[in-house]
Amino acid sequence: MNVFWRLLGFLRPYKSGVVWSLALAAAAMGAGVLIPLLVGRTVDEIGRPDPDLTPLVLAIAGAGLLRLVLSVSRRLVAGRVSLGVEFDLRNLVYHRLQQLELAFFDGQQTGQLMSRSTVDLQAVRFFLGYGLIFILQSALTILLAAGVMLVVNPGLALLALAPAPALIWASFRYGRKNRPASQEVQQRIAELTAEAEENISGVRVVKAFAQEARQLGRFRHVVGRVFDQSLVSTRLRAFYNPLIAFLPFLGLGAVLLVGGRQVDSGAITLGEFVAFYGYVLLLAQPMRMLGIALGMAQRAIASGARVFELLDREPALVAPDGAPELPAGRGRVELRGVTFGYDGGEPVLRDISLEVDAGRTVALVGGTGSGKSSLIALVPRLYDPQEGSVLVDGTDVRDVDLASLRSEIALVSEDAFLFSASVRDNIAYGRPDATDEQVRGAARRAGIHDFIETLPAGYETRVGERGLTLSGGQRQRIAIARALIIDPRILVLDDATSSVDATTEGEIKRALAEVMEGRTTFVIAHRLSTISLADEVVVLEEGRITARGTHEELLESSPLYAEIVEKGLPDQVFLTRKPEEEVASL
Amino acid sequence: MSRARRAWGILRGEERRARKLRGLLALLRPYRVRVALMMVALVAAVAASLAPPYLAGRAIDDGIRAGDLGALNVVVALLIVSALVNFAATYAQTYLVSWVGQRALQDLRIRLFEHLQRLSVGFYEKRRTGVVISRLTNDVQALDQLVTDGVVTLFSSSLTLLGTAAILVILDPELALITFLTFPLLLVGSVIFRLASAGAYRLTRERIALITAYLQETLSGIRVVRSFGQERRHEEHLSELNEANRAANMKTVNLNAAYFPSVELLSAVATAAILLYGGNQVIDGNGVTIGVLASFVFYLANFFDPIQQLSQLYTTYQAGMAALDKIFELLDEEPEVADRPGAAGLPPVRGEIRFEGVSFGYGGEEDTFALQDVDLTVPPGQTVALVGATGAGKSTLVKLVARFYDPVRGRVTVDGHDLREVSAGSLRSQLGIVPQEGFLFSGTIRDNIAFGRPGATDEDVLAAATAVGADEFIARLPDGFDTEVGERGGHLSAGQRQLVAFARAACADPRILILDEATSNVDVHTEGRIEHGLRRLLAGRTAIVIAHRLSTIRGAGRIVVLDGGRIAEQGTHDELIAAGGAYARLYRDWARQAA
Repeated sequence: MNVFWRLLGFLRPYKSGVVWSLALAAAAMGAGVLIPLLVGRTVDEIGRPDPDLTPLVLAIAGAGLLRLVLSVSRRLVAGRVSLGVEFDLRNLVYHRLQQLELAFFDGQQTGQLMSRSTVDLQAVRFFLGYGLIFILQSALTILLAAGVMLVVNPGLALLALAPAPALIWASFRYGRKNRPASQEVQQRIAELTAEAEENISGVRVVKAFAQEARQLGRFRHVVGRVFDQSLVSTRLRAFYNPLIAFLPFLGLGAVLLVGGRQVDSGAITLGEFVAFYGYVLLLAQPMRMLGIALGMAQRAIASGARVFELLDREPALVAPDGAPELPAGRGRVELRGVTFGYDGGEPVLRDISLEVDAGRTVALVGGTGSGKSSLIALVPRLYDPQEGSVLVDGTDVRDVDLASLRSEIALVSEDAFLFSASVRDNIAYGRPDATDEQVRGAARRAGIHDFIETLPAGYETRVGERGLTLSGGQRQRIAIARALIIDPRILVLDDATSSVDATTEGEIKRALAEVMEGRTTFVIAHRLSTISLADEVVVLEEGRITARGTHEELLESSPLYAEIVEKGLPDQVFLTRKPEEEVASL
Repeated sequence: MSRARRAWGILRGEERRARKLRGLLALLRPYRVRVALMMVALVAAVAASLAPPYLAGRAIDDGIRAGDLGALNVVVALLIVSALVNFAATYAQTYLVSWVGQRALQDLRIRLFEHLQRLSVGFYEKRRTGVVISRLTNDVQALDQLVTDGVVTLFSSSLTLLGTAAILVILDPELALITFLTFPLLLVGSVIFRLASAGAYRLTRERIALITAYLQETLSGIRVVRSFGQERRHEEHLSELNEANRAANMKTVNLNAAYFPSVELLSAVATAAILLYGGNQVIDGNGVTIGVLASFVFYLANFFDPIQQLSQLYTTYQAGMAALDKIFELLDEEPEVADRPGAAGLPPVRGEIRFEGVSFGYGGEEDTFALQDVDLTVPPGQTVALVGATGAGKSTLVKLVARFYDPVRGRVTVDGHDLREVSAGSLRSQLGIVPQEGFLFSGTIRDNIAFGRPGATDEDVLAAATAVGADEFIARLPDGFDTEVGERGGHLSAGQRQLVAFARAACADPRILILDEATSNVDVHTEGRIEHGLRRLLAGRTAIVIAHRLSTIRGAGRIVVLDGGRIAEQGTHDELIAAGGAYARLYRDWARQAA
């Protein structure tokens, strides 16, 4: 219920719109309720001596016109409120997502977050925008019509309204049962999608092993599961929909049977009888809507709870209020007794102490899971360590303004992520106001300018998910250019593992040497060529620094380093390269 | 003029769709008995739903005004019976239509899937996976709407409309005529509304799709966003998209606000007209009774519903037809590589592979051919390492061995059998393929290893895993061979997937093995294990390996260097180094980088 009141809070900026749409809805319903009454009067008038139907009939048309004007206004006002709420909610959720720390995203699947920002948001806005008004409007209609009926003839009114609770209950129950059933259908369709996805992606394997028949059998099974569940949902629909349509007839029957006798005995007029019949017809629709809208409210509260869960999640990684900017410096980095684990779990870094003087290049070397990537993520404060501290130019990163810190540190990750935008926009990402010369300059230094010039639209070529597919090496160099353009004090590189041929590797090496010049650089190295650029090498093993020194020193002193160099590194990359489009080529 | 024609085109739908609609009907044919039953139920339901207003009128005339309470009881009984019939018939109709519709769509999905499996690998290389999947899921789903909701609405709304009209004419032709006067207004209004809203709704769908895509992208790239501190900018951009979405929706709000209340007004105006004209007829005693008048008023209360529903049907129809177009387009696709009629099975082979003057291109000009005049003989049991830059033709060459494509010129033979003369199934059952990233299917490790040999016993699976040295890591997993590998094998590391893929090939125990060596980095220990597993797998088989690691290349019986679709040189490592050609150059570059 708490969620419900909080949801209503979103309507606060639209208070006057809500009030207006309610008032208009009430007035429109009033006009609608008038019509059966007037029809009844007309019928009575017909029976009178010297009848004049014109005023009554004009009144009916007038009521209809009034209802039109009121309904149109009501829809216009309510529609604006609804869209406004949706707009606000989406901005709010996205704003929160942008504030939350990276650790939050590690624990979430993108799909889950997406569904909160789309499906759940929609349920909430449907309820606030339409559902709430439906509920009030339907309740109002029922109350008004029931009130009129009770005033005119209480006994007959009670009889006519007798099926109402059953009807509302049936609609509500249908809404409640049908939801899990249809969600399960969706779930099974998702399974079907996954199965199809896997088979189509793996079609070469299927064909290579001549297993078409077996895969078809699997697919048949999944399709059958969708069918079975749709029938469950169908049975509910097939039963409840006609039931909901049937119930008002009990009221109609009662009105005919009892009301007819009352007309016969002279207790009511024929016109009143017709009006009653008209009311029962009129009421069927709002009762049904009320049930549906109540189901909607339930859904909205469940969705609202999920949205609030997100909105209530305070960003864990914020700078103190009024935190100063990162003081000027040349990029000296120090880690003091740092212990860190993701989500507070098993530490991946244990008591790490490391000092790197300004302008030096450090290569991090170690096996998978040794903590190399975690270590470099701490420098731009993408995460906070559980123990110890990270200092840049003598200042704890937790004490300075985040934006000022991150603008001095550029990160080039292993899986260079590019946005669906032009090459130019991608390079200028961290500095949207960069001039064309600056963009080209950065591209040149990253050794990618010549390649960009060969693209169909040069720097305006669209790349990323919905653009041109680039190879890992090309993406990496664009990411390097993107890092260079912000001219950072500290550069953090996760050297791509995707293999490139010896010639390309030489180009990357030259580009790296160029960009490391005059900056403090951390590099996760997978190749000897990158290690050779470093002033010193740090070997990580299970979250600890086990050796530190120059390449030659470590070959002597660290057996692990010697093993990595001998077996792990040189053999990785030999003669061929692996562009993206070839990944699934066999 | 062209605008009018386009409007007409939108309303009428495209003519060639008639053929597709027939295709859709063909899907229903196996279930025609149920379809017939559904129609009977539908007619009964409509008929029963038409009775009450008429009965109410009779109750007034024959029961109340005639003072015949017995007649009143009969009428009420009839009313309840008709409501019950409607209940039962609607239940039957809803159930049957969904059953038939879902079953037909299930058949369609399976047919599509079977068809997709028949299509050659070339088909998949030209298309994005997501697009193909959406044919099986979204497009079939769009048809669901058309087949279930659409069919029912079409028939029951049309029948209701015709039935009501007929009853009204029978009750009183003059009053009926007055009622029908509102029709043109409603029709013109609905058509205008449909045309205007079709565009508006399309726009809202496009706008929301933009938002979803933007969310998806900025959430996937959240690391980059954070590192560069660009949160504000993304918020501003989303807000712009959000605003555009609101504007698009506002148009639909305005349209709906104008249309639906207008229909209600029409109903009130028609009621007023009937009462005025009919009421005066009653007063003048022109044969119209109060009961008839009441029946008219009651019919009018729901008269406009079917028209509204029919006009909504149009959107469903459009979406369904668009989906149907795409589905049939896919079904019309012919496999490029098909077994010759009566193609013989390939007898068990020793494993000699020959390329004789083979040229091949993925369509297009001769000078863009991926392979040019390749002659190559691989004797049984030998391992050949293919080496060369991207686009040199390595992948193409092995695809021809698996007969994913047929050569444009020349021929590929195995033990002297031209691959075009034998059935693809019999060839591939003697062929093992290990793809680069070790593609696995969701399921257990056991399922995956037994993939190419469904009858494999637990012992066979264990033996295969042991043979390539995968048993060790599997034994350390909590569920051992029953460990679920996840979608595409995502629960395993790259190195583990590679080992399972080796075991899968070993279990199928093929005479010929095709392997695309992985290039991704794995840690030192796994690296050694993979190297070892690979050696065991290759031993004693004819193998063609797209090689990336020096150890693999050195261990091969022969190295074939491809360049621009031609064989540049071949020989052992030492021979090629001594020859001082392309291979020697590549080796020198590599050695310099490594130093």
